[in-house]
Amino acid sequence: MTQRISKYQRFKMMNPIIQFFKFIYLSIKIMVVVAGGHGGTREVKSKVSKLVS
Amino acid sequence: MSKIVILGAGISGHVAASHLRRKLSKEHEVLVVSPNSNYQWIPSNIWVGVGRMKSKEILFPLAPLYKKKGIRYKQAKAITFHPEGDKTEQKPYILAEYVVGEKKGQQEKVTYDYLINATGPKLNFEATEGLTPGLNKTYSVCTYTHADHAWEGLNDLIQQMKQGKKVKILIGTGHAKATCQGAAFEYILNVEQELRRHKVRDMAEVTWISNEYQLGDFGMDGMLLSYGSMTMKSSEMVGMIFEDRDIKWILGVGVDKIENGIAYYENLDGEHKKEKYDFAMLIPSFSGHGFKAFDKNNEDVTSKLFKGFMIVDADYTSKPYEDWSVKDWPETYQNPSYQNIFAPGIAFAPPHAISKPRKSKNGTAIFPAPPRTGMPSGITAKLVADNIIDSIKSGKDTAHHKGSLGNMGAACIASAGFGITQGSGVSITTYPIVPDYEKYPKTQGRQLGKTFGEIGLAGHWLKLALHYAFIYKAKMRPFWWLIPE
Ligand SMILES: Cc1cc2nc3c(=O)[nH]c(=O)nc-3n(C[C@H](O)[C@H](O)[C@H](O)COP(=O)(O)OP(=O)(O)OC[C@H]3O[C@@H](n4cnc5c(N)ncnc54)[C@H](O)[C@@H]3O)c2cc1C
Repeated sequence: MTQRISKYQRFKMMNPIIQFFKFIYLSIKIMVVVAGGHGGTREVKSKVSKLVS
Repeated sequence: MSKIVILGAGISGHVAASHLRRKLSKEHEVLVVSPNSNYQWIPSNIWVGVGRMKSKEILFPLAPLYKKKGIRYKQAKAITFHPEGDKTEQKPYILAEYVVGEKKGQQEKVTYDYLINATGPKLNFEATEGLTPGLNKTYSVCTYTHADHAWEGLNDLIQQMKQGKKVKILIGTGHAKATCQGAAFEYILNVEQELRRHKVRDMAEVTWISNEYQLGDFGMDGMLLSYGSMTMKSSEMVGMIFEDRDIKWILGVGVDKIENGIAYYENLDGEHKKEKYDFAMLIPSFSGHGFKAFDKNNEDVTSKLFKGFMIVDADYTSKPYEDWSVKDWPETYQNPSYQNIFAPGIAFAPPHAISKPRKSKNGTAIFPAPPRTGMPSGITAKLVADNIIDSIKSGKDTAHHKGSLGNMGAACIASAGFGITQGSGVSITTYPIVPDYEKYPKTQGRQLGKTFGEIGLAGHWLKLALHYAFIYKAKMRPFWWLIPE
């Protein structure tokens, strides 16, 4: 076994307080990526013509 | 009055049905035809497969919900497609066969104005000799019944390990062109964590076996992602996790045969090898359901509708990897020959893979098929529903809601172990899902920042939160539509 994740990194990954804030941050970030709109790829892209469902 | 028939009540079929029902007045009929009696939130099967959730926590019966919401429902499976009707039936229809109750085995013509084919994949276990869930010490987590069996098998093994037996566990893909590596990735990390929880980790050798050329390919050609303040390849991130968890790996292989406790495979060097195991969870290849289609004269028109999966508005021209473009990918999921037929989710035929195609020295194609995960399945189903709604309301065919996988983001919150304080998750988002090398030439076709990875307890909470949110949404509880796909 190779310890690739240091003790300090692991502490940060598993600390409930740090992770609580990470949870909020990740939730918002994921919403931005996933619910942030989608569209086609074949039309000329301009803000007006890009149709978002 | 219009009649919309939806085949399948998985993620995409159910999303389409619920949006159609909410937005269309009751004079329009929404009918779901699906062989399953329960809705299942498939992503949580991972936890059923390690005994941390009961299958009843991830499913609910469809019939009472559909009755309450005014969605008609036939527990039946589609058999053939008749997009022009036939000599006795003017309207287009599908032939369906009931699977339960008094009508079991009876066939019925189900007519439609609009058809949504959301039948997902056929879990093609037969494509790999001997790969049958529950036999030959192999298991699956693709359905809740499979996941229940998997936990029985794993629990049995854990008890043997507690008695001092050393074991080998093999998890990954069970076919040279399998997809859904993400699910197997989650499962191997959860199994590994459970072994530690049961204090038997040192009794097991845990191995990842996959048709991916590199770790972290996930059928998406891998990705370059932001990780904290660094930029990292997904192969490095997964390699780091596997090394840290003492998980070995075998890559670039196509499993072609299973015997009791032995997986036979071919690698890209053309060598035929085998790997012994005491417990294996191998994802089968996914295929279309083998549907046939006929025109009004009963002539076979299957090639107009199917190419394995259903043909939609993709560019299916065969071209080399270097010429692949995001523009090949569909935008409206509409069949070009019959414009009142749509196929969101996994049911549509992709134009090609996303990962670079590779062949072994013997000419065997060994590379992942493109994944279509839950979020894009829901998004594509909703946009199909919205186009149908707009067409009905405006009285003319419109397809202005578009959503190419080349212009859409996805999140993969991979559970890496269950537990409110001890759990972990690998949160990965990609934007876009299909890499756009023209737009993002220097970052492997994806936008850094929007393509990022995170590891930690928050990922587990997130996956758990999504479990409850999506089941709430699927049950169509108050304001369910505010939760995005
Ligand atoms: C173990 C596992 C874990 C996963 N984890 C994640 C995850 O964490 N995140 C994520 O985004 N995605 C995940 N996925 C992928 C996700 O589950 C799929 O993308 C999604 O289920 C696809 O939805 P679908 O509606 O297209 O197909 P399905 O969900 O497969 O639904 C197909 C439906 O069609 C019905 N059907 C089949 N044949 C017929 C027929 N002849 N006639 C009528 N109906 C028929 C089926 O009964 C079913 O109701 C996971 C998949 C697996 C297997």
